[in-house]
Amino acid sequence: MSALDLSSLAPELALTLTGILVLLLEAFIPATRRLATPLTVAGTLIAGWLALGLAPGMSFGGQLEASGKTLIFSLVVLVSTGLTAIASEGFLRRERIPVAEYQAMILWAAVGMLLMVRAQELLTIFVCLELFSICLYALAAFHRQVSWSLEAAIKYFLMGAFVSSFVLLGIGIVYGETASTSLSDLAQSLEAGIGSRSLLTLALLLLIAGFGFKMSLVPFHAWSPDTYQGAPSPFVAFLSVAPKVASAFVMLRLLEILGSNALGDKWPQLIGILAVLSMVLGNLLALVQRDIKRMLAYSGIAHMGYVAIALARPTDTAWAPVAVYLLAYALMNAGAFAAVALLYRKAGEPSQISELAGYGYRYPVLGACLAVSMLSLGGIPPTFGFIGKYMVFLHAIENGALSLAIVGVVASLVGVFYYLRVVYTLYMKPEGETETLVLDGWGRVAALLAAAATLVLGVWPGGLLRWMFDAVAGAS
Amino acid sequence: MESFLALAAGNTLTRLVLFPAVASLPLLFLRRDQVTKVYLLVVSLIEVALTFLYLGSHGGADGIFSLTRDLGPDGKPLEWIPRFGIRFDLVADGISWPLAVLAVLLVPVVLLGSWKGIEKKWPAYGASLLWLTSGVLGALFAYDLFLFYIFWEVMLVPMYLIIGVWGGERRIYAAVKFFLFTMAGSLLMLIAILWLVATYARVAGTWSFAYEDLLRLDLPLGAQMWLFAGFALAFLIKVPMFPVHTWLPDAHVEAPTGGSVILAGILLKLGTYGYLRFAMPLFPQASDAAQPLLLTLALIGILYGALVAWVQTDMKKLVAYSSVAHLGFVMLGLLAADLVAWQGALLQMINHGLSTGALFLLVGMLYDRRHTKKFEEFGGLAKPMPVFAFFLVFSTLASVGLPLLNGFVGEFMILLGAYRTTGFWAVAATFGVVLAAIYLFKMLQLTLWGPITKEENRKLPDLSLREILSLAPLAVLMLVIGVAPAAFLKPSEKALAATLTQYQERLKQTPATEARLLPQEMTAALPRGPVVVGEEVER
Repeated sequence: MSALDLSSLAPELALTLTGILVLLLEAFIPATRRLATPLTVAGTLIAGWLALGLAPGMSFGGQLEASGKTLIFSLVVLVSTGLTAIASEGFLRRERIPVAEYQAMILWAAVGMLLMVRAQELLTIFVCLELFSICLYALAAFHRQVSWSLEAAIKYFLMGAFVSSFVLLGIGIVYGETASTSLSDLAQSLEAGIGSRSLLTLALLLLIAGFGFKMSLVPFHAWSPDTYQGAPSPFVAFLSVAPKVASAFVMLRLLEILGSNALGDKWPQLIGILAVLSMVLGNLLALVQRDIKRMLAYSGIAHMGYVAIALARPTDTAWAPVAVYLLAYALMNAGAFAAVALLYRKAGEPSQISELAGYGYRYPVLGACLAVSMLSLGGIPPTFGFIGKYMVFLHAIENGALSLAIVGVVASLVGVFYYLRVVYTLYMKPEGETETLVLDGWGRVAALLAAAATLVLGVWPGGLLRWMFDAVAGAS
Repeated sequence: MESFLALAAGNTLTRLVLFPAVASLPLLFLRRDQVTKVYLLVVSLIEVALTFLYLGSHGGADGIFSLTRDLGPDGKPLEWIPRFGIRFDLVADGISWPLAVLAVLLVPVVLLGSWKGIEKKWPAYGASLLWLTSGVLGALFAYDLFLFYIFWEVMLVPMYLIIGVWGGERRIYAAVKFFLFTMAGSLLMLIAILWLVATYARVAGTWSFAYEDLLRLDLPLGAQMWLFAGFALAFLIKVPMFPVHTWLPDAHVEAPTGGSVILAGILLKLGTYGYLRFAMPLFPQASDAAQPLLLTLALIGILYGALVAWVQTDMKKLVAYSSVAHLGFVMLGLLAADLVAWQGALLQMINHGLSTGALFLLVGMLYDRRHTKKFEEFGGLAKPMPVFAFFLVFSTLASVGLPLLNGFVGEFMILLGAYRTTGFWAVAATFGVVLAAIYLFKMLQLTLWGPITKEENRKLPDLSLREILSLAPLAVLMLVIGVAPAAFLKPSEKALAATLTQYQERLKQTPATEARLLPQEMTAALPRGPVVVGEEVER
């Protein structure tokens, strides 16, 4: 391990050290408690800056990659991390949850995701998967006093552990058949026809099931509504985005490897079926939800279905649409959950959409943020959510998957219906008799940042898109 | 960015489109309704002034509605998303201008008409109205399909809010129905646009959403049919044409007066405009093949709309269904693909905006006084409200198509042109004119004439000065168009003729067997650059 190798870990190291610093400060100098969140945000920003400065290339003997692709996906994870950290501060204080422990866990989860995106080797990928998963299990249970939170964590943990064993088994079979766990070796072995085809197919199915679980694609989605509903709301902004970003990256990488050989011909159809199931079931089930967090969980399933449209055509041009879509999803989901965390005060009780009646007027700015996030989730221009959908559908049509795009469009029409329900409850239903809520500044800042970015990028996507396309193409 | 700001600051289409949206920002800080109303009225009048300033300074050799285009400093439209060849490209010509002028003029009218009817949240109402104006103007001027789609959708949310927040009893149902119907059409149009652009990228090797580039794409009939279906469905839902019209009566009945006027006056016209501007020229063979089906639907719309209007007991519903019938005429004119019919159709779009807009305003005024729209509550109103009666009779006659008023010219030209190319369909549609007279006179009879049956109608106050001011410009225009139609037909003739020539040229060709690019000259008949923004206009 050389100094160069270590410097290629700079972003991850920055996050890890910030986490440790935040914890130590809390333990030894309690007076600095208020610094936990600013430090977390600063650590995230520094990590982003370091990631931007990373020289493209391999390190640790070809086990870690730094390229335009990994950079873009890392930044999306960091955007989600930063927004979550900001949105959480006020919520954590209100609910008397230890801030430092929570923020440190978020940071370490982000470390796992960043490394997983950059890993070139299946065992490293598995370790990273476990690193962030364990942080996420703990975070889901952070609302200790509330039994729902514990239920959420247990459900997520049990199914997650089960699926982790799938992934491990898949890796084991790959190793058994090809005598290597590196992705490039896997590609070569597949090319050369080494190993039993049926066993390797099984292994890849297991891997796809594992990452499909983290992405909450149908039929691996069952955990997400219960977990989202019970877990602390600002944390769900992270849970619903960041693991999916990292998993989608690995999934696309696996599919790209598969695409280039004889074993690969059926995979696009399989992913296409997952996409259709996720879009259709996610949207239809979201339609009947009355609890906004459950609704957003099903909507998240549907959104991963749209991402899977691009995954079903894993060409070299699929990276940018997937990244843009995930960035849009990160922003609008952060806006939505930040607002939800502020507006629903009774932990452990359903967050009924009907409770929002008239809030659009009582809290004009926050209401507008929530409405913008909803319209963006619905894919209505001029929001960034529309740009994401546009990119994914265009990629599908360009690569001969017109039917997937049409299913996607029809499904998103269903989606518009339930997103609009939130908007009309905010603005068109008479206000109920509820006490006025004191909204904390942090949460409002997070919601405002996310909603403003959603709008600005929706109106002015040109520069960002060019940068992302150049970054993805430049280093591949 | 700098060139964009420079463009937005100059005497340009960009400024016309963006001014209302930007002017909505101060509304965030206005709290008092009275101040807001005055502010909105001033803003809308400034927009009218800006429009006429632009028309005055850019009216070139082609007359007042010259072809103009917003260009950046390098003589090209501004790049917006360069990666995909998407540009912020605004072009105005004889087809878009009449509708744009109508849109701009209707805003102050709507404000005056809503003065009393809207009782809450004026800043939000005003902001919705201004954003709607920006969206409409943008959609009319957009010459890039991506940009067009964005503006097309931008119109959706403000109208949804206007119906849903300030509407009647079943406002949420109506607002959601409006949104979902329109969205269903436009999402399929999005797929069609993407398909079209992906095909263009395959054939030409570069990305472009530019209308003039996509026009050069010659597609096999099969592909054309699918793409045409995607575009046409979006536009026909907006028109709305039978059988996808069902959102319209709900939206009209529940919308506040101002919303109904904008909806009838402008939004519906975007459907017919889109059909004329995009669906026909981009897919000529397909639209020709679909002509019999669409003619049938237009005819059903004319007759069915009229018959349903006849049996209504609610004044606003009657006017709403009359819209279905009137827009059926416009579609008949467009489908006829004949210059006279097209001129009539374009004029009829304006006419319908004026007369139906006035009728909705009048219904609203009655509603403000009596809080009902049922015929059984009225009768004999001519006696207590003579000025109201005058305007109602005037607008009705214009709508029926009385010679010397505007409706006559439009309908006559549509029927004349349509008879030349479609024969039977025009004859059948003539019954629609008769039916229109029946249901509209029924409306007059039930509201204005006869004995006064309800005591409270006896001393209803007549129209106030504000109400007269909102109706007068519409009435004057109805009369002027009726007396001197040539002044309104001439400026648009060149643009319509160019589009028609190109359409007919394309029809003469046999469809391509696989997608290919037409030579530049094939589309030369259509308005194209360079058209300079700023000082002079050239071809």
